[in-house]
Parts: sequence; structure tokens; C-alpha cells
Amino acid sequence: MSTLTVSVKWQKKVFPAVEIDTTQSPYVFKCQLYDLTGVPPERQKIMVKGGLLKDDADWPKVGVKEGQRLMMMGTADEIIKAPEKGPLFAEDMPEEAQVVNMCLHSVPELKSALTNYPPSGAGNNVDQSSHQLTVATRDLFIELDKNAKPVAPMQFWMVLRKKYPQFGQLNNGAFMQQDAEECWTQLLYTLSQSLKSSSSSEEPDTVKALFGIEFVSRVHCTESGEESTERESVYSLKCHISQEVNHLHEGLKRGLKSELEKASPALGRSAIYVKDSRINDLPRYLTVQFVRFFWKRESNQKAKILRKVDYPLELDVLDLCSDDLRKRLETPRQILRDEEGRKLGLKVDQKSSGSDTDVKMTDNEESANGNGGTSKDSSLEGKEVHLTGIYDLVAVLTHKGRSADSGHYVAWAKQENGKWIQFDDDNPIPQREEDITRLSGGGDWHMAYICMYKARLVAM
Amino acid sequence: MAPAQDPNSTGGSSAGATKDEASLKVPSKDLKKKDDKKDEDLSEEDLALKLQLELYVERVQDSDPGLQKVALESMRQEIRNATSSMTSVPKPLKFLRPHYGTLKAYYESMVDSDLKKLLADILSVLALTMSAEGERESLKYRLLGSDGDIGSWGHEYVRNLAGEIAQEYAKRQSEDAPFDELMELVQQIVAFHMQHNAEPEAVDLLMEVEDLDLLVEHTDKTNFKRTCLYLNSSAKYLPGPDDTLVLDIAYMIYMKFEEFPRALQIALYLDNMQYVKQIFMTCHDLLQKKQFCYILARHGITFELDEEMCADDEEREGLQEIINNSKLSEGYLTLARDIEVMEPKSPEDIYKAHLLDGRASAGASMDSARQNLAATFVNAFVNAGFGQDKLMTVPSEASSGSSSTNWLYKNKEHGKTSAAASLGMILLWDVDSGLAQIDKYFHSTDTPVIAGALLGVGIVNCGVKNDCDPALALLAEYVDREDPATRIGAIMGLGLAYAGAQSEQIRSKLIPILNDAKASLDVIAFTAISLGLVYVGSCNEDIAQAIIFALMDRSESELGEPLTRLLPLGLGLLYLGKQESVEATAEVSKTFNEKIRKHCDMTLLSCAYAGTGNVLKVQHFLGQCAQHLEKGETFQGPAVLGIAMVAMAEELGLEMAIRSLEHLLQYGEQNIRKAVPLALGLLCISNPKVNVMDTLSRLSHDSDTEVAMAAIVSLGLIGAGTNNARIAGMLRNLSSYYYKEPSLLFCVRIAQGLVHLGKGLLTLSPYHSERFLLSPTALAGLVTLLHACLDMKAVILGKYHYILYFLVLAMQPRMLMTVDENLKALPVPVRVGQAVDVVGQAGRPKTITGFQTHTTPVLLSAGDRAELATEKYIPLSPILEGFVILKENPEYRDDQ
Repeated sequence: MSTLTVSVKWQKKVFPAVEIDTTQSPYVFKCQLYDLTGVPPERQKIMVKGGLLKDDADWPKVGVKEGQRLMMMGTADEIIKAPEKGPLFAEDMPEEAQVVNMCLHSVPELKSALTNYPPSGAGNNVDQSSHQLTVATRDLFIELDKNAKPVAPMQFWMVLRKKYPQFGQLNNGAFMQQDAEECWTQLLYTLSQSLKSSSSSEEPDTVKALFGIEFVSRVHCTESGEESTERESVYSLKCHISQEVNHLHEGLKRGLKSELEKASPALGRSAIYVKDSRINDLPRYLTVQFVRFFWKRESNQKAKILRKVDYPLELDVLDLCSDDLRKRLETPRQILRDEEGRKLGLKVDQKSSGSDTDVKMTDNEESANGNGGTSKDSSLEGKEVHLTGIYDLVAVLTHKGRSADSGHYVAWAKQENGKWIQFDDDNPIPQREEDITRLSGGGDWHMAYICMYKARLVAM
Repeated sequence: MAPAQDPNSTGGSSAGATKDEASLKVPSKDLKKKDDKKDEDLSEEDLALKLQLELYVERVQDSDPGLQKVALESMRQEIRNATSSMTSVPKPLKFLRPHYGTLKAYYESMVDSDLKKLLADILSVLALTMSAEGERESLKYRLLGSDGDIGSWGHEYVRNLAGEIAQEYAKRQSEDAPFDELMELVQQIVAFHMQHNAEPEAVDLLMEVEDLDLLVEHTDKTNFKRTCLYLNSSAKYLPGPDDTLVLDIAYMIYMKFEEFPRALQIALYLDNMQYVKQIFMTCHDLLQKKQFCYILARHGITFELDEEMCADDEEREGLQEIINNSKLSEGYLTLARDIEVMEPKSPEDIYKAHLLDGRASAGASMDSARQNLAATFVNAFVNAGFGQDKLMTVPSEASSGSSSTNWLYKNKEHGKTSAAASLGMILLWDVDSGLAQIDKYFHSTDTPVIAGALLGVGIVNCGVKNDCDPALALLAEYVDREDPATRIGAIMGLGLAYAGAQSEQIRSKLIPILNDAKASLDVIAFTAISLGLVYVGSCNEDIAQAIIFALMDRSESELGEPLTRLLPLGLGLLYLGKQESVEATAEVSKTFNEKIRKHCDMTLLSCAYAGTGNVLKVQHFLGQCAQHLEKGETFQGPAVLGIAMVAMAEELGLEMAIRSLEHLLQYGEQNIRKAVPLALGLLCISNPKVNVMDTLSRLSHDSDTEVAMAAIVSLGLIGAGTNNARIAGMLRNLSSYYYKEPSLLFCVRIAQGLVHLGKGLLTLSPYHSERFLLSPTALAGLVTLLHACLDMKAVILGKYHYILYFLVLAMQPRMLMTVDENLKALPVPVRVGQAVDVVGQAGRPKTITGFQTHTTPVLLSAGDRAELATEKYIPLSPILEGFVILKENPEYRDDQ
């Protein structure tokens, strides 16, 4: 007898009569099954009474009987391979780095500057790790642009940790939650360093032009009457939160006035000086940080101020500016006002006078503006653009939780089409504009920690 | 009214006095005074009776036999008429009391005659109230008297007599005196009891005189059920060989009346495969046989039908298919569809983080790999057996290698093993699609993934047998691989797939590993467990030897390792529930290194007496726990678990054990305290008792992390598969409380997964069939997990988290599924309610209380019982659990 008839069960299917030619090797039988199931012979596993059928086995020894049922395992599908880029763990990278990136990502100029950054940054005076970080940021941005799917910023995170080891601090085997503000500052600093020195960059200091704020401060001592002026450049405005602060504007104003104790040459001892700062130069992107965390000595941890501080979708910083700057801004503001007046009719005055007009109205303008924003920018390329001191909110970085070492960071960024998106770890969620203003704090919900405003420009 | 009231009150007081008088002769004077006084109160009727009786007593002592006879017979007449009611001492007895001594004295002086026998009869009855304690005069005179109908003197008399027989029997036994005459009496009494709805008394008497065989001939169609019920439940409280004897009798009675399903249960309880075979051979109804197969399948034993049991090949194949559980997946999914829980659930649906305010929902401070691993387990437990989930299985059109691969690779190294194996859990019992889906992992280049695939094959095949033995075919060649992880995957897979199968092939495959000098400790430990599982309760000598040698080969340092403690457990599983059979091995274990000696001793003992309810063993374990250790010995952990394992057998012992454990919590040291929650978890598995829940909830906040972790896991165990809202709430709050402690949070997640096991359709309870039968493989799985939990940090929180998959052995749908004669689902109305204990109750008591009527398939909770709410069908199994075949009732008439 040279042929046997068996039935073969494969997944849920049964092939009732498969003939085995016992003079041939089982491989031939597997080829028969290949025709039936489409599973290549090398992927087939045929089970005969607790054993696997080997390709070169001897049929009589296998002991298959007439009419026996065999079972076959195997799939014709593609074989699953490990992802090339190693396993990724969303939380392996602390979120603050992610969210900072998401906010920065909404600055197209930075993107373009980064894109121009040479891949091999050799030759300039930047240290290697800064260079790597810059490259990593650029790559990440490029990847973010290309991908609709979640991106794992592994490379970026590795480099960031290398450059600033404090972000790699471990706590009980888990990466410690870090301060997003610190991350923001460090990242911007690095970028400014490396982009400044990169020869191919057209502007001398892209980052500074984009984010730098120049202060002119008058330091005044009430006791001696001494007075001096200082100039300094920072990357963000700080909104100090105290009992009286209910609105961003108030906080910013308080931030401009500070008292410090220093040795007075006139008095020969240390005295209290009042430092009164004014903005002397405005950036394209204004970063506002809410000083929500402070070191609480009693509990030895960074505590968080939960106070609600409203912030506008549109910010006018005119009253924070120095007289010098105000003068410079006057003409562009007039032009802007006229332009908007044309669009909106009579509401011009109201709008430019104060930034905390009711939300509804700002909304209207905002949407009008958001749509116009990009086209304006492109059409104005040839002419000279001027700042107006009026800013639109483009990105919010929020923190949720009770202390600085814990909780959850999320980025909310405005897209080019004017829509808002919440970037919560690896899943973006569309949001409505009115939800953005609800992030002002006063509860356990997300609250704004860093706001990024984009300047409204006019061409002249 | 007045005369009626009077005797009642005096009757009451004199009944109490009777006993006093019997035992104390001194105060009889006072009583006599009282009696005199009472005489005045007697009604005329009573007075007449009294005088009459006194007259009889006098006449009995008359010299004229004729007169004597008349007197005796009238006396008998009086007594018989009165014994009909036993609310108080019957008046004739009362009035005759002063003359008991006289009559006795006279009896001694009489010559043998019928009259003497007649008097003996009367004395026997009188002794009922008058004989002094321990004298057994009632019996004495009964034996001297005429062998008249025993029942004619009333129930109380028979009962008293039975009691005296028991005493007499014990006495004669110690004196080696013959007791033939007693047995004759026993015959009569048993017959009387059995005819008069007093089966428990009959059984009790026969147990006392050690002659239960008599029972069989006295049972009839009307009383055998109650008799057997009493036998079954009393077996739980009997020591040593007696319990087996009692159940043997019950089995014989059931067989006599062809109550096969019940007989089968007893056969399974006794683990007597000979009986099982006999049942199959005696019963000729194919449909009934199918029902037997369902019962066998639920019990989780491997059983091969042969031609003697079922001659027809095709029929036999069909039956074997049921035993092999091939249709379990199908039935389970039918239930799921009926209850509408097919929709897969993601771990987030279980965590319900949105119900927590603030901090915890983020969980950002947790090590991601561990969180993902927890999610892997939660996902596996929750979607167990449903064949679909939101992480591991994806619709085929979503291109291979998208999200399922993604999730797999969202686990780190050994985490991938558990992730790949979780696919097996999701496709539990569905061998065909399970193997097809796991296949892709076999081609992976990543060793942890292959290990997981091997384990997954084992899980899919757990409790399901297949002719082609796919698990053995696929896993066998990996057992001897180099990589320990792969080996463990294959070994554990075999253990799960062939638990209880006692397969020779597996044995020859695994035993060499135990002696393999190159094998690492973890491989050896898992081999021991797998062998223990495959040969659970078999008392197999060879394997015991092999494990003992492996234990002896361990070096001093290895003996301190937590994994080494799985070796004694593997050994213990071989003797699970086998009581004395363990003694030889236990003796050998006394020669072990002292580091492991006591641990091994406790483990063996606890396994051997698991599910027996043996009170002495519970006391033994409690005694072990009372010691305060200083040298860091570990044996108290298994001892505490042992209390639970032994005491879980019946409700009463269980409650007592819970109380004892409470004491251990207060007085025990850390190594005991951390085991107590686990013991509680086993006692109330899938049965969330509120008091235990509260205890565990309290312990879950314990300052000792290990106690807290054990308590959290146990919360999951007691709530396993119940969806209990209270436990779910507790765990949710714990997840917020422990959000910064990755280990504890991991435990909380696992517990959450367990509570929603199979979306609430599964149970982990090893007991089934109205809590009568204990599935050995299920218990073995649970015990293995609990032992692993004794050292949570090193095992489950280390890299052996897949030990959690041993739970699959205990996972069973907690359903009642009614099928028609073609085994197709047949929805019928059933009443489901709390089971009532009806043992020894008269009449036909209700078996359930607080019931609701549902249509099958239905879910049964712990302590629930179901009964058909329609007369249209007759169930083929008296216990409505699992799969039950219904056949149409030929006598049913539709009312309309």
C-alpha cells in the first residue's frame, strides 16, 4: 500500500481527504498542503500524535493510519519582526521634554532655521553634545512633520540626557519627573548657542531674534537716591503669582518690579534697591512662564501654586514697554489698527486698548486672524515687517498634578489652520479654542505653565 | 380548659425531675413529698389512671399467671396508648415511676416464661425515663424481652434504644464480647428509622456499630436521596478511612437506584476511576453518558473511554470530545454573547482612572515597562477566552505587525514572554485559532518572544485535550534548548497543557532535567512544578525520587533562594489530597538540609491534606505558627497556607480558619502576617465575603509592604471573576494611594485584572458541583501561585511574573448552560438563588432561597444554586452547573 488518505485540520478548516504517498518524503505531503492552505512548507508544523512531522521522516515510522486526522499549524502571514528602532516606552522619556518640543514645534521659523542647520556641525565652537542635541531636535521636528503616527523621540531624549544629565535623574528606578521650564530654558539655550555659531544660518542669532526679550531696567535706591540703568536679555517673561494676581497682565507687571539688596557705594552698606524693568525689545515669539512652583522648605519639595490666573488669547504688552520701544511701536500699531478696522468696522479701539476684552469677541478676531496669519506672513516677505506689541497665543504647556516632581505635562498647540490640538503623550486630541482659556488653573485640571505668544506683525 | 393546662405544667416539671431522680437517689424524698402534694392536684381522670396502674403493678406480682398476664397486657396497653405524644412524659410512665424498682425486683424473681418477657418489654420502656445514666437498662430488658415490633413503643423509645446500643457496642468492642444480638436489634431499628423518615438516625446508628452495609438493603426509592445526602455531608466530618467507607455506601446506593450522575460525583470525590468506569459500563443511555462526560470535563481530569464503556466508535468519539472539553470555548462564547460582553475591554476600561480625581490618573511616575506589563496581564485576564482584545489581537486587515507587534514590543525583555503568552490566555480553550495566532511568534528571533509563544501554547491547551497532542508536539523540542527562558516557557507550557494527564511522554521528557547539572535553578524549579502538575495527586514514586534528589543536589546557597522552594511544592503536588500516602516521602524529607527541611515538611503536609478539612492538621499548622522564629526560617509561610488549604473543605471549618487567621495577624510575626492575606484569599477564592474583604482592605494599607502586596493580590483573588463593585472601588482607590510605588501599583493592577477576570464570567474556585468536588488541577494552580506570592519581590515582581498564568488552571466559566439532546444551546427558564442546606431536614424543603428567574445561559455566583423553572424538561444532572443536558419530559402537558 503506497497511499493513505488522511484528513488535515488547519485552523478551523478540515480538509477531509488528503492522500499521502508513503513512498515519497513528507516534504511532498507538505507541498500538497501548500496548495490547499497557501502555507509554505517550511512554515508548516504538522502534528501527529504528540510529535512533529519532519521533512525527511519515514512514513512507516511515523505510523500514520488510514483516515487519521492530522493537525497543521502555520500561517501564511508575514512573520512579525521586532521594530528596527528598538522597543520604545512612551514614558521612558519624561514628558516635559516632549511637551517643550511640541510647543517649540509650532514655531515655523525655528523649524526652518533648524532645517538649515548643517548635519555635520564640525568646525564651529559648539561642544559635541550641544550639536547632537540640535541635530536631534531637528530630526525630531522633521519626523513630527512627516508622521501622522506617534513619534518616539528616543534619540532626542538620549541626547538631551547626555547634555543635561539632571534630566536622567532616577528615582526608584523610574525617571524622575523634571521641570518643564528648566527643560525649555536649557533647550533654547543650546539651540541659541549652536544656531548662532552655525555659519550657514543667515541671521546672526536666530533664537534670540525669535525668543529674546530685552529689558532695560532702572535700578533705584530710595535711601541714597542712586540710580543706574541695566540692560539684559532673557528668553521668557515671568508671571509671578501672588494673592492679588488674577490675570496674566498683573503678574507680568509685578515681575518687572523687584527689590534687591546690594551694596550701595554711596551709603557704604547694603541697601534696598528697587529694580524697575521695561521691555526694550520684543521678540517674534514671546514666552511667558507662570511661576507656579516654589521650593517649600517645610516639606522639602517643590510645591505648586494652584491659583487661577487668567490669560488672554491675545496679549498686548505695550504698557510693559519702555518709552523708547513704545515710540517704535506706535506706527505699526496704527497700521494694524487701521487694517483691522477695515476688517471689523468700529471695534478697533476697544480691541487695541485692552487685552482682557470678553472672550467671545477675541474669539471672532482670533479666528479671522488665525486664518489670515500665514498668508500675511508669506505675502509680506519682501517688505520689512514690524512688531506691534500685540501677541496671539499659539501654544500652551500645561501641568496637571499637585507637585513639581509628579503629575503630567501636556502641550496644547495651535495649528496653522487655527485649530488647537492637545498633545497628551502619544495621542493628539483636537480641542476647541474656548477650552484653551480654561487652562488657567484653580483646580486639579491642567493649568498653564508656559504660554507662547506669537507676535502680530505688520508690513511697512 | 383547666384540666388540660394542669398536666402540662406538672408534666413539664416532672420531666426535669425524672432525670434528677434517676441520677441522684438522695433528693428523691423531697420529690416524693412533691408528688404527694401533686396527688391532691390531680384531676379525677388522672387519679383513676394512677390507681389503675398501681393496681396493675400489684397484680403483676400476683401469683396467678393469668392475672399477671392480664395486668401486664393492660399495662402495656396503657403505655402504648400514651406514647403516641412525646411533648411531655406520658402519664402512665410517670405514674409507674415509683414502682420501677418493685417491678425490677419482681422480674428478677420470676421464672423464665412469656410473662417474664412481657414484663421485660415493659421494663425496657420504663427504663426510657427511669434507668440511671450509663446503665443501659432499656437495652438490657429489650434484649431479654420478646422481639416484638420495635416501633410499637414509639419513636422516642427507638431513639433511646439506638443510643444505648451505640454505647453498648463500644463497650463490647473493647471487651471483645460478641454483639450478634445487638446487630439483630440494629436491623430492626434501622428498618424502623428508614421507614419513618429518620434516615439520619439510621445512618448514625449504623456508623456507630460500623455496619453501614446494612443500609443498602433498607433504602428504597423514597428515602435513598435523603440518606445519601446525609451520608455525603457527614463524610466531611469523619476521620480517616471512615469517610471513604461512608461514600462507598453512598455510591452503592446511588448505583442501586441508577442515580448515575450522583454516583459519578462520589466516584470523582473518591478519585476512584474504577467506579467511574463501572458507571459508564452500567449505564446504557448515551445521553446520560454525555452528561457524565460533561461532569468529568468540568472536574478537569484526563479520562480515556474504551470499548467496554462505549462500544460504538462514533459515539465514543463524541463522548471523548466532550471529556476533552473541545466545546468549552464555544459554550463560553455563547454565554458571553448572551450576556452581551463580547466587546473587548482595554486595561483602561478596568482601571477607570477618570473616576479618581487628580494625581493618580496620570500615573506618570511609574516605570513604564512595569505599567505595560501590568496592562498585559490585566488585558489577558479580562479578555481571557474571548478571542479578541484591544492589545494583542487585531483585525487581520490592519496589516500584520501593526498594533499587536507594537504592544508585544512595548514590554521589556522578559516582559515580552508574558506578553506573547497573554495571547494564549485571550484565546484560551480555542486550540485551533489559538495555535494559528501564536504561530507567528515562533518565527521571532527574540528569545523572550519564543518563550512566550511556548507558554502561550500551553495556556491555550490548558484543560483542553486534543487527539493530535499539539502542545506536546510543539513544545517537546524546546525543552532541551540552551536558553533557560525558552526552556522554562516550554516546561511550564507542558505543565499547564497536561496538568493531571499523568502522561508518560512528559515524564520521560522532564525527569532528566532534574538531574541535569547544567540546568539553572529556575529551570529545575519550573520542571518540578510542571511534573507536580502533570502527576498531581498521583503519588508517583519515580518523580518523587527525582525531585528529592534534585533537592539534595542543591548547594547551601541555592537552598536559600526563593525559587528552590518550588521544588518541595512540586513534590507536594504529587500527593495533593492523598493524606497518609505522603508519609514515606515526608519521612525522607526529614533528612534534608535544615534550611529547607521544615519548609518541605510543611509544604508536603499542607498539600497532602488539602481539601480534607482535617481538624488535627489545622491544629498542627497553627501550632507551627505559634513559634517565634529567629533564624529567618521560612516554613511558617507554607504552614499558614496549609491552614487554608486544609480548612477550605467545608463551610464550618472555613469560618473557623478565618477566625484563627485573624489571631495570627495579631500575634504573628512578619513572615506569618504576609502569608495570612494569601490564606484568606484561598479560603474565599472568587467568593468575596464582606468580613474578609474588610480585613484585606485594612491590610492593604499595612506599613509592611509585603503584607500590603499580599493583601492587594488577595483582594483580587477573593473577587476574581465577580466584577464586585466594592472591591473594584477599593482597588481603584489603592491605585491612587500607591501611585508612586511601582511594585504596589503593579499588584493593584493585577488584582484589578483578576476582579474582572473574563469580564466577570469566570471563577477561580476549585470547588464545583455545589461545592462538593474539588478539582485537583485547579487547586494545584492556585497553590503554586500562592507559594510564589510568599516571596513576591523575588518572583512575581522579579522576572518570573508569568507564574501568574498558573491561575489558568483554576479558570472555569461560572455558568449554567442548558443544552438539548443534540448538545445545542437550549434556553429555558431557571430559578437562581442562594443555596439552602437541606441535609437532614424533613419533608421536601426548598433548596434555594431569594431566587430570581432567568433564562439560560446564566451566571452562578458562589453559593448559588439553580433549579429548572419549567416542567417541560428533565435535567440529566441533578446539579445544575456547567453544561447540563435537558431532555423533554414525556408527561408534560402544555396548559394552553
